[in-house]
Amino acid sequence: MNAAHIHLLLNHFPTVGFSIGVGLLLVGLFGKSDELKRTSLVIFFLTAAMTIATYVSGSDAQETLKDTPGVSTAVISAHESEALVAFAFMQATGFFSWIALWLLRRVSRFYNWNLAVVLVLSIVTFGLMARAANAGGAIRHPEIQSDVQESSAGDPAPTIASSWRLFVMSNSFVWPTCETLHFIGLSMLFAVVLTVDLRMLGIGKKSLSFAALYQLLPLGMLGFTINLITGIMFFVATPQQYVGFLFFLKMILVVAGAFNVLYFMLLDEPWTIGEGDDASKKTKFVAASAIAIWIGVLFCGHMLPFLGNSF
Amino acid sequence: MEFLLHIEQSGFCTWVRESDSLFAYAGVLLLHTIGMGFVVGIAACIDLRILGFAPAVRLAGMEKFSPVLWLGFWVNTITGIILVAIHATSKLINPDFYIKMIFIALAIVTLHMIKTNVFRDPMIDKVPPSARAKMLAVMSLIFWAGAITSGRLLAYVGAGAAGN
Repeated sequence: MNAAHIHLLLNHFPTVGFSIGVGLLLVGLFGKSDELKRTSLVIFFLTAAMTIATYVSGSDAQETLKDTPGVSTAVISAHESEALVAFAFMQATGFFSWIALWLLRRVSRFYNWNLAVVLVLSIVTFGLMARAANAGGAIRHPEIQSDVQESSAGDPAPTIASSWRLFVMSNSFVWPTCETLHFIGLSMLFAVVLTVDLRMLGIGKKSLSFAALYQLLPLGMLGFTINLITGIMFFVATPQQYVGFLFFLKMILVVAGAFNVLYFMLLDEPWTIGEGDDASKKTKFVAASAIAIWIGVLFCGHMLPFLGNSF
Repeated sequence: MEFLLHIEQSGFCTWVRESDSLFAYAGVLLLHTIGMGFVVGIAACIDLRILGFAPAVRLAGMEKFSPVLWLGFWVNTITGIILVAIHATSKLINPDFYIKMIFIALAIVTLHMIKTNVFRDPMIDKVPPSARAKMLAVMSLIFWAGAITSGRLLAYVGAGAAGN
């Protein structure tokens, strides 16, 4: 199994996940079923998380394919840019789905504006994702190529990705600025991971209930969002740095982190932990694994220049 | 300067700087980054709580995370000393290094003031934090953000920057 296999395997999740999610959300809205609405939001959130791994595996797949006869660089570039736009909308959908899931526990109901935003974003994302998937299929299926022309002479037409690359290369302040923001986002995420999960393991249990600490979660989500945006900025600027096992492991751990936080948002067990209560063994295990996952994410990112291909 | 060169060229510093072992430079810097997450993470949580975010969280409970913050702080003091020592001749003449140290000193002083003004207040969690406490919280956030920014820029500006 090579990198292209992984990309081909993962690239079914975005479109399949979102078609199921949009369907369930529509049925939930018309049938006024909060359970279906909640299920669709969980699907959007997890699909968005898995799509992070899908998106970044594309660069590795491109490395595998680049010397294959009959594979057009222009077709790959077109796919990359369309995937980037679809990816941005998908992450926005995942973000607002998470907010809706968080609010559901916080105030026990959905807000109409929130569901409306998720509905519109998810439908737009589905359309964009289908377009990106089609452009991706064209890489190895010339029979479905129609609008992408191989430009043999002169520079290829600028894409979103290539314009961003040029901007980063010609402005030396961009990279350190994104790095600094990436560190600030990391600290915000750690703020929540440490306080919530160390409390589950027993620190400060006398005066902290889970329900109170739950209010902190958006701070972590905001930190993660900052790091997703700055991280993608690094990735799009220099995708050749982010190939190989270590970076892919980092993305897999991020997906694991998304599943982990849902334990605390969807299950009732953590909510029974009041001031002075011990968490159950299961909750302690999930809390300890959250700390391990996010330190693992930091480890993989940090070690890229030392063990991976990054500089 | 000769003294600094002596430190920089010592066996330990040369090993940390030049060895490919993950326990050398890569590991020291990793611990420094994890420590940063611990220190700034917990401090930011306390500051934001004082400013009114997550009102159900009791400040008395937040104080229990101080040992976690200090664990990170001492890990970063030790790893920080190593990171400066291995590039002593360049980092110690880089003004940005001293800016970072000032930010950290101010942040720690602010942390102590938060301890006396908020955590030692007998009315903690009974009345909302005072305007003075909120001022301290804002300053703390600014100082930590400044420390992270100047720290990150150590790789980019002044003596010892990449490419110099």
